[in-house]
Amino acid sequence: MNLVWKLLRQHISIPQFAGFFLANLVGMLIIMLGVQFYNDTQAIYNGEDSFMRNDYFIINKTIGTISGITGKSETFTEDEINELKSQPFVKKMGWFTSSAFQVRASFNIEDFSSFSTEMFFESVPDEFVDVMSEKWFFEEDNTDIPIILPRNYLDLYNFGYAQSQNLPQLSEGLFGAISLDITISGNGETGKFHGNIVGFSSRLNTILVPEQFMKWANDKYGSTDVSSTISRIIMEVDNPADENITQYLQDNNYETDQSKLDASKTTFLLKMIVGIVTSVGLVICILAFYILMLSVLLLVEKNNTKLENLLVIGYSPAKVAMPYQLLTIGLNITVLILSSILLIIIRNEYINLFENFFPNMDIPSLWQSLVAGTILLVIVSILNIIAIRTKIMSIWKKKD
Amino acid sequence: MNNINLKYILPRVSSSVRNTEQITQSDVWLKDIQFERGQLYLLEACSGTGKSSLCSYIYGYRQDYEGQITFDGKDISHISTKELVNVRKQELSILWQELRLFPELTAMENVIIKNKLTSYQPQRQIDEWFEMLGIADRKNYKIGRMSFGQQQRVAMIRALCQPFSFLFADEPISHLDANNSQIMAKIMMEEAHKQGAGVIITSIGKHMSLDYDKAIHL
Repeated sequence: MNLVWKLLRQHISIPQFAGFFLANLVGMLIIMLGVQFYNDTQAIYNGEDSFMRNDYFIINKTIGTISGITGKSETFTEDEINELKSQPFVKKMGWFTSSAFQVRASFNIEDFSSFSTEMFFESVPDEFVDVMSEKWFFEEDNTDIPIILPRNYLDLYNFGYAQSQNLPQLSEGLFGAISLDITISGNGETGKFHGNIVGFSSRLNTILVPEQFMKWANDKYGSTDVSSTISRIIMEVDNPADENITQYLQDNNYETDQSKLDASKTTFLLKMIVGIVTSVGLVICILAFYILMLSVLLLVEKNNTKLENLLVIGYSPAKVAMPYQLLTIGLNITVLILSSILLIIIRNEYINLFENFFPNMDIPSLWQSLVAGTILLVIVSILNIIAIRTKIMSIWKKKD
Repeated sequence: MNNINLKYILPRVSSSVRNTEQITQSDVWLKDIQFERGQLYLLEACSGTGKSSLCSYIYGYRQDYEGQITFDGKDISHISTKELVNVRKQELSILWQELRLFPELTAMENVIIKNKLTSYQPQRQIDEWFEMLGIADRKNYKIGRMSFGQQQRVAMIRALCQPFSFLFADEPISHLDANNSQIMAKIMMEEAHKQGAGVIITSIGKHMSLDYDKAIHL
């Protein structure tokens, strides 16, 4: 192989290969950085409570002064629900079910403090719950109820109440260890349960229990029929920046969390920017690939006689093609390794900034961008291999 | 491989002149002719009558001919790349008229690049041949710096660095003196006998003085 390489490396143009190397490095780095940056920023938006967040809206009817006075509840009618459901921007839709019974929660930390409060529960279909927990289920013969609290509550306690009262700040895990004594009454019956906080949701701003439990409890303890009163709807949409959503909500006098709408818009914008940047990276990569292909094919052309003679003395086309294939694959792998190193360095720089702003963020792993880089490497290498092989075969099949 | 059969072949460029004297009087063009293993052939021809083309056709290197060439009855236009590579490594050896050496490599490297592929001749044998042909002191010279006669000898050594059933030598001694061509003939025939191979030597006049089984006029 050494002698073959000694022959075939003749006419290798260092500037051409350096050009390819740099261009491919830049392209690859931009793509990987794009993917990584997107993942990292998504982690900020999503928090730790969602594996892969889509865009959700929680909508309700605007509560006007008059309805407040008259006590008329702002519930959605069946027609309104059907109409909303048929909107093209709605991907999935579900609604909040509220408890039709009384809930009293208390907890005791031995000889230290006790606390008791009236509260309420709500439930949504499980598919809208953004907290992943294996404890999120309810069985009738079990008195344990999993509960999800809004993340705001945790912040409210930690940064508002605890700080002002000199109480210790609590982590999510610690909250999870607290067992609440829940008393449910209504319909002439009373039941005692243990509530466990299984997570905190950024999406659902309510005290959430499994829908399964809610149905069962409303049947058993419910004093009024709440199944027909829908006051809050949760829906999943494809594109939160869709103007039609805002327009539709406005036209029908529905309300949604405006900041959420903004966050979603930012996400969309971010997606677009990252998409554009990644595409630019891809274009650079394609151009780099072109440079490489041209250099290699030029090299093959320049070494045409040598290649021909190698084939003539009994070297197979595969053996003759191999040095050039290994050369390009070697270059590609070097580019991948180098761009991975650069990616890690650059990312360490900006992730520090991120962490300053968002101390609670979960730092995503690098694997997605590495996989993206590897896929690119594989595709480019396969194309290189095929192109070189084709070229050598054309020499093999030389027809005078 | 035991025989090579040429059935009515003719270079495509000559198809318009198929009735000329040159073609009709040829023993090869548009005739059915067979080369047998173990035999020694002299292929005589004038310059430009297609010796080298014929070698290229048989070697599967060019396909611009009509008719059929078979190895043991198998049409070579139907054999796969892999089979053809094997034929070139194991069955057919050729000493090209234009030598096809690599000017960037030394004399020895030119031989080794082939022998490495086939792992056929021991280094001792190669050294011996260099010695016999009087180019031992040029082993490490770049081919580009050697005379054509010296290059011919290197190319011959290279051609012998593989197993073969047939050896084609296209004007092997065109630039050699009598002494060297005799040595070359001896080496070549010894190796061919050892392998029980057929040998086809082309010539435009000056040829190795050997005991040919058959002389063919192209």
